[in-house]
Amino acid sequence: MSDKKKVVVIACERSVNLDKELEGSHGANLKGVDNAYVVQVPCSGIIQPRMIESAFDDGADGVIAMGCQIGDCHFREGNKFCRERILGLRPPVIKKTVPKNRLEGLWMSEPQVETFKDRVRDFQDRVASELEKEGASAS
Amino acid sequence: MFTKIVRAGQVVFLRIEDLLNKIFSSEQNILYYHGAMPNFFMWILFLSGLLLFAYYMPTLEGAYQSVEYITQKIPFGDMIRGIHRYAADAMLITVILHAVRVYFTDRYREYRIIAWYSGIALVFMMTFIGISGYILVWDERSYQIVTMTRDFLAAFPIWGDSWAHAFINDEAISNYTMAMSFFIHTGTSFALLVMLWIHYMRISRPVVNVTWALGCLLGGLVLLVSGIYPATSGPEAVLIQTPTYFDMDWFYLWIFPVMKSIGYGWTWIALTVATLFVIFLPNFVDSRDDEPASVDKDKCVGCKLCSVDCPYEAIYMAPRTDGSKFKEIAVVIDARCAECGLCVGACNFDAIELPAHISHDYMKDIRVNLEAAA
Repeated sequence: MSDKKKVVVIACERSVNLDKELEGSHGANLKGVDNAYVVQVPCSGIIQPRMIESAFDDGADGVIAMGCQIGDCHFREGNKFCRERILGLRPPVIKKTVPKNRLEGLWMSEPQVETFKDRVRDFQDRVASELEKEGASAS
Repeated sequence: MFTKIVRAGQVVFLRIEDLLNKIFSSEQNILYYHGAMPNFFMWILFLSGLLLFAYYMPTLEGAYQSVEYITQKIPFGDMIRGIHRYAADAMLITVILHAVRVYFTDRYREYRIIAWYSGIALVFMMTFIGISGYILVWDERSYQIVTMTRDFLAAFPIWGDSWAHAFINDEAISNYTMAMSFFIHTGTSFALLVMLWIHYMRISRPVVNVTWALGCLLGGLVLLVSGIYPATSGPEAVLIQTPTYFDMDWFYLWIFPVMKSIGYGWTWIALTVATLFVIFLPNFVDSRDDEPASVDKDKCVGCKLCSVDCPYEAIYMAPRTDGSKFKEIAVVIDARCAECGLCVGACNFDAIELPAHISHDYMKDIRVNLEAAA
């Protein structure tokens, strides 16, 4: 078992093409990245703040909400709204109890598979250091 | 086969988009303003047209001279004329870009069908405006456009002669012909605004304006082209002479070479077939099963967030009559629903869901994965 931090990616099915990139018993493990789980939704605009909250409650170390590049939502405004909710600019906003340092919005297009994986790995490292900081301040 | 071509086109667009994002950043990416760009050029055309309107005389004797007067005597007159000429081409180029992009990104059918049909009407209206604009100059090209359009209309099987007569507006080409062309040119321009309103129907918050930076860039381009290739007239039309000059504008006048090579009858047939093809293009693709968003009336608190966020104006708030303590309830208009789920993301009360994509199922998926990993 890898010691990489557990990251949940809630991804728009129209953004990065993950058709050939998922494996595992539930078909959610991202190939080549340990402990990264992908759940695909029709549009990043469907991501409710509660979905992100529950992912943290269920034991995720970090959560990524991923949509298409800002400006190019198939449903016009989904990624824009999702981004604004993450930033706390659009109701309903994310609860203050959610660790925002370990939440990230990624806005990428279909062909950017490799860049996406790199960003997930970077995010895992950042989550690890954030968790260390949180542990240090708690004790 | 059909789907494959569309898919390939979509990937091409995404690659170009990535490249432009790297150069311009996503806030200034022209591909994200493909609908706003024609709009920008349209306002330039209205404004420059207004200035030309002040000096133009729609008569056989006065038209050519007044255009020459505008070009040579009025300060910046040649520039205004050039802008009016090239902004029209730019508008059609960006309209084509807009249409091709919405086609390949699959954003033109089902819940967006009104925009597709009204868009076809808009292209026709723009072509009428463009052709009638070239008549107003009244050089030899204008003369040929008038005679060819008259004969083309006369060749229409139903009431052809009446159409031709209505266009000439007299027994023969006269001042009334010029008045008619001027009327078609300006009248259709204002009708264009009405059609645009229909074009924007069912789109919440349409992107109709380009950014300042893009506006300067696009406006500058038009200015540059009109400086390098000034818009000029050919020899003045004389009704007793056979006109020969015909400088091509391939965006608006393409139909005249077509008429010349295949004849009026075949042009009508080709035009009809092509138009029907474009009208029925959305029908060549299977539409998916409809499973529009549904509202749980026990949970809805009437907060309006879903109806505000819906990008297709598919949700409205209705007064409640079921004795609930809340005053309003969200109602989904099924035919307009795109099943995108933006309303689901906007609802903090679990009151609206897509039957095919229940948000709690996603949360369960996340939980199952995390438990399996633990």
